Amino acid sequence: MLDHDRSRQAYLRRTALLLALPLMLTLCAPIANAGVTQDGAGSTPEAVWSDDYINHIFPWADEDDRILQFKEYHTYDTVKQRLQRIAEDHPDLFEFHEGMNGGTNARGEQTTADAYEGWYYGHASPWVKVTKDVQGGEYNEFVGDNGNYEDRPDVLIVGNHHAREWMSVQVPMMQIEVIAFSVDNIGYDNDGDGRVDEDGWGDTNGDGVLDDDGDCLALEASYQDSNGDGTPCGPGDLGVDEDYSEQWIVDLLENRELYIVPMLNVDGNIYDREVFCPAPAWESCPSGGWRKNLRDNTFTGVTPLPDLQEEVDEDCDGVDLNRNYQFEWGAPLGATGPLIPGTCSPAEGELDGSNNDVYNGPVDDRDNDGDGQINEDHVDGKDDDADGVTDEDWWGGNSEPETKFIQDLTEMNDDTGDGASEFKSTLTHHSYSELILWPWGHCTDCESPDHAQLEYHGQQMADMTQYANLQSSSLYPTSGDFCDWHYGVHGSYCYTSEIGTAFHQHEDDIDHIAVRNLGLGFYIAEIADNPRERADMAIDNITQQNYLKQPDAIDIPDEGDIPIDVCVSDDFPYSAANSVVKWRQVKPSRLQSDYGPREWATTPWETVPMEVVGGNACTTSNGNGTLLRAMIPVGETATGEVHYKAQLETLGGSDFQYPADGEYYVLAVSYRASYGSTFGALVMFLLVAGTVWGGLGTALRTMLTGDDDEKVILADALLEEAVDA
Amino acid sequence: MSGQSDEFSGRLGLIFATIGAAIGTGNIWRFPRMVGANGGGTFLIPWLIFLFVWSIPLVIAEFAMGKRSRTGTIGTFRIFTGKRFAWMGLWTAWISTAIGFYYAVVAGWCLKYFQLGITGGLTGDGVDTVQVWNEFLQAPGQVIFFQFIVVVLTLAAISRGAKAIEKVNVLLMTSLMVLLFLTMFMALSMDMNDGTLDGALFMFTVDTSMMFDPEIWINALSQSAWSASAGMGMAITYAVYMRKDEDTTLNAFVMGLANNSISIIAGLTVLSAIFAVEADPLATVTGGSSAITFLALPEVFAQAPGGNVGPFLMMTGFFLALSFAALTSMISTVELCVRNFVDHGYERTRSVWLTGAAIFLFGLPSAVLWVKLDAEGVAFPQFLEVQDHIWGYGLMFSGLFIAFTIWRYGFLKWRAQVEAGEADPGLTGYLNVGVSAFRDDYINTGENDLWIGRWWDLLLYLAFPVLFSILMLSYFGSMIANTEDVWNPLNPNGLGIILAFWGVVAALFISFNKYLVQRPVFRNVPEGAEVDISLLPGGSDELVVQVGEVAPGFEHLGQSDAA
Repeated sequence: MLDHDRSRQAYLRRTALLLALPLMLTLCAPIANAGVTQDGAGSTPEAVWSDDYINHIFPWADEDDRILQFKEYHTYDTVKQRLQRIAEDHPDLFEFHEGMNGGTNARGEQTTADAYEGWYYGHASPWVKVTKDVQGGEYNEFVGDNGNYEDRPDVLIVGNHHAREWMSVQVPMMQIEVIAFSVDNIGYDNDGDGRVDEDGWGDTNGDGVLDDDGDCLALEASYQDSNGDGTPCGPGDLGVDEDYSEQWIVDLLENRELYIVPMLNVDGNIYDREVFCPAPAWESCPSGGWRKNLRDNTFTGVTPLPDLQEEVDEDCDGVDLNRNYQFEWGAPLGATGPLIPGTCSPAEGELDGSNNDVYNGPVDDRDNDGDGQINEDHVDGKDDDADGVTDEDWWGGNSEPETKFIQDLTEMNDDTGDGASEFKSTLTHHSYSELILWPWGHCTDCESPDHAQLEYHGQQMADMTQYANLQSSSLYPTSGDFCDWHYGVHGSYCYTSEIGTAFHQHEDDIDHIAVRNLGLGFYIAEIADNPRERADMAIDNITQQNYLKQPDAIDIPDEGDIPIDVCVSDDFPYSAANSVVKWRQVKPSRLQSDYGPREWATTPWETVPMEVVGGNACTTSNGNGTLLRAMIPVGETATGEVHYKAQLETLGGSDFQYPADGEYYVLAVSYRASYGSTFGALVMFLLVAGTVWGGLGTALRTMLTGDDDEKVILADALLEEAVDA
Repeated sequence: MSGQSDEFSGRLGLIFATIGAAIGTGNIWRFPRMVGANGGGTFLIPWLIFLFVWSIPLVIAEFAMGKRSRTGTIGTFRIFTGKRFAWMGLWTAWISTAIGFYYAVVAGWCLKYFQLGITGGLTGDGVDTVQVWNEFLQAPGQVIFFQFIVVVLTLAAISRGAKAIEKVNVLLMTSLMVLLFLTMFMALSMDMNDGTLDGALFMFTVDTSMMFDPEIWINALSQSAWSASAGMGMAITYAVYMRKDEDTTLNAFVMGLANNSISIIAGLTVLSAIFAVEADPLATVTGGSSAITFLALPEVFAQAPGGNVGPFLMMTGFFLALSFAALTSMISTVELCVRNFVDHGYERTRSVWLTGAAIFLFGLPSAVLWVKLDAEGVAFPQFLEVQDHIWGYGLMFSGLFIAFTIWRYGFLKWRAQVEAGEADPGLTGYLNVGVSAFRDDYINTGENDLWIGRWWDLLLYLAFPVLFSILMLSYFGSMIANTEDVWNPLNPNGLGIILAFWGVVAALFISFNKYLVQRPVFRNVPEGAEVDISLLPGGSDELVVQVGEVAPGFEHLGQSDAA
């Protein structure tokens, strides 16, 4: 008996443990708290933002992938692999390329793909074409890209003309990462503060403060300068321009074609990294590095030029790619020799025979137009020889695979077939000096015809980065650079950013400097529709006069669609046909829990056209305006919120967003439909009640009377039970 | 106690107990929200259809299984699905118990509001219901006190077995109906003040343009699946106490239809009251369920006509009804767990105390942890919400396991007959023998007044898997689409946390299975009942014995109890 008792006890204990163990599980749940955002507006970064954000851990890659986390520099191989990977993952948005196919180019020359491959290592520049439905649109045989749409303005962004300017690779690479991540993460809370899209690039709300949401400014003073540049809450500091609108980026890609070339000078970059500046480069080359490409300038007398077998002659070889474009090529200022090919001549002040860092490439002594004369009409936009043809027999420039790639890409990417470049705005990243530069570069004390407009956009970008805004030649005159050629030959609004404070910026600084410059590529893409018109209207304060009516001014009718009004300045050349209102609904969510706060589900953005209600029908800050109206088809049974925003297009094709880029207004809507008719409700009631109560009665009756032994009726049974109870 | 079988005293006992299990807060606070958020009367059509397509067929299966196995969920799966699948019963019991942990807290809230109604804490001038709610939720002592009361009441009701459960349920359910009718008529009269019954109109008006909105159908299915307790194992548990000649099919219909009846009454009450008072009633009813119940309704009830009497009656009547609904569901939840302990040789009283203590202790975190304020400044218990998020969806799998059991039984029976040369080895044979096997052998046993036809097979074999997939895919799909960082198991609103907890629990239970089936199971068989299990996959298990018998190798268990 005792034995029995003991074994029974042991048995019960084991069984109890067995059955009760799962109960313990419920206690494991507190670990789940870690992911919950902390409440309260603290004065430390930890109190406001996620740890990932504070530590610059970006959401597009694993925490320990140092290159994709911008903790280590990209190399040629990693750039190429990453672009390929992104294109594979987002085939509807990115198309990967290396160089171009070639063919007959704009000046009648035959080229093949190898014309764009570096002299020394033989790689063509890797690049991506980015636009919505990139596999659609037209195919361009010369360039080899799909996704060419006549109605989408094109943008060219180029990094790393100069090999040692490593940050100029990182910034476009980050732009690509951001685009790829944004497509799948609209409404992402980049800084983990529980709010979404609250602080885009630049001063989006126009109050003169970059930190639009004020989260950085609310920190204790000791935390406000996280990047240590001496400016509290400046660009690149935590909490500044940190939560841009993914939706805006995605929308932009429906209307733009981006050509992003993060590493143009592959030869030079590899040489700088692997040979010239042994790692860590910021120690081995604190103030220098390899700048040019790897053209062989040394004349050996044995092999014809270029001498491919020869090792790089660091004193002589290479061409400065940003002096090799053809506009005003070789013109005097700053364009030092050697002008005679094959000779190595030292730069001014470098009498020891060290390399000539701004060598602009060999003179072209061919008769380019076949008229028997040589170099009689330099590329400068003028008909120098008065023969009726402009710029047809040039002195030089465009001699390098890399510059040929850019020139041919620019001239052959012609979606509209009008012979003009599609790139209405272009950006090239350089380093360093913290500047935004724009044409002209080749002349001092001169102004381009678009001086004011170029200066305006330059200032916008300078405000965004807190860099200095300068005409290029005010820094020092250059000839044959990327921007003079794009602006001078193709009228493209072209900007040069000089990023950061060193060629080989220390790797600890990659992430925050890249973040600081991230907005530039998006700004240049935004203005690509008509940069001149945009600048004109902004300078004259016209676009700022237009306004979208705020929610409290919206009159929700008892039935039908809801009218959304925009008041447009009389000075604004609107295109009613191309202007739209975009809207979406926020509805109660199906996932609503029974015990938690209200949860919402958001529908995708939809577009409705605008119609002109009438002139002088509304007032702007500068007088009467025209009222445009869109009717948004929100159901009468809808409850919740409607988000709306407007996109106004000019006759010149510029698009402007209201209330601002990436922002929208929130309108509360309530149930407007009638609650129903008495007759219909009565029928339905009878149907439902008949089914449920009728069914219940029948079932109970069958059950309680069907049994022969126990014929009781419901009421009796109830009574009996009640008495028992 | 476990030396003899235990059963309900009469038909109505069983009916009231099962109705009490089915009717809970889901009817009274979830249903009106679903009607509000899904187009009013439009919602009722799919909701009614799914009652017959989803809930009732599953309950029929549960009753049939429990009545034959005469054990709780673990024993039932062990007998019906096979020795290897006893863990499915453990899963079913666990999900129900895990829900019970926090459900006791929720039931406590209801009791608290009844008390507030009695003491007039919600009707005075300038009462801010948000403030009352926030203060209550942020006072751990208060929440725990009412949770404790609920647990004690539940234990008191069930400690003495089926007959006591039955009596308590009869009392509570009858009172609940009376109270609900009372508040419904008061709410209707409030709404009628302006000459129209807006709430009733809305609730019974079909908007044909929304009729085929998949969202509404999915929501109706979820309401049917979650509120009627189908597939939860409740019906299995209460079927254990069925008298030998009890009807399983009609009981299932009564349970389902009674559940929906109460939903309609509750819907009319809540919607009429809110439509009578609120300027934008639809915005109110589409808020969270607890927001409707504890924020909007007290405000609405306070405006009832009749001086102090009207508001007092509505407030106390409604919250008492709600408390009763929650209590009866609590009773079935605890009983489900207790039954499993008793099956495995535990004394009933001891099992009841063990389960009660666990429910109280493990419910404490839900009662007091992570009480947060939402964007509108309303408190909500996030720990409790996370528990609900994790285990609420787990219920669906309990239902799937029941369907799996039926599919498996049919397949095995067909295979056995093919081997014996009695059935056609082709598809025809399977359709003739296999598909209808469970229904032939365990539903249409001859004790039913209602014979179940081929339609039931169709629903279980075709409709169930399709609807199950739609429900899981649509919920998880929109969770994936709408939740940031959805796979991170640390995100309390994500899918990662659900899968992580399910994974751990399932892995644990599956590995426990072999220990579990080394224990004897004692079946609660009433005298003279026909409960042959020899044809079932677990029928040859010699450790499955009847109460009063001795399991081989476990002689000590039977003897000690008999002593």
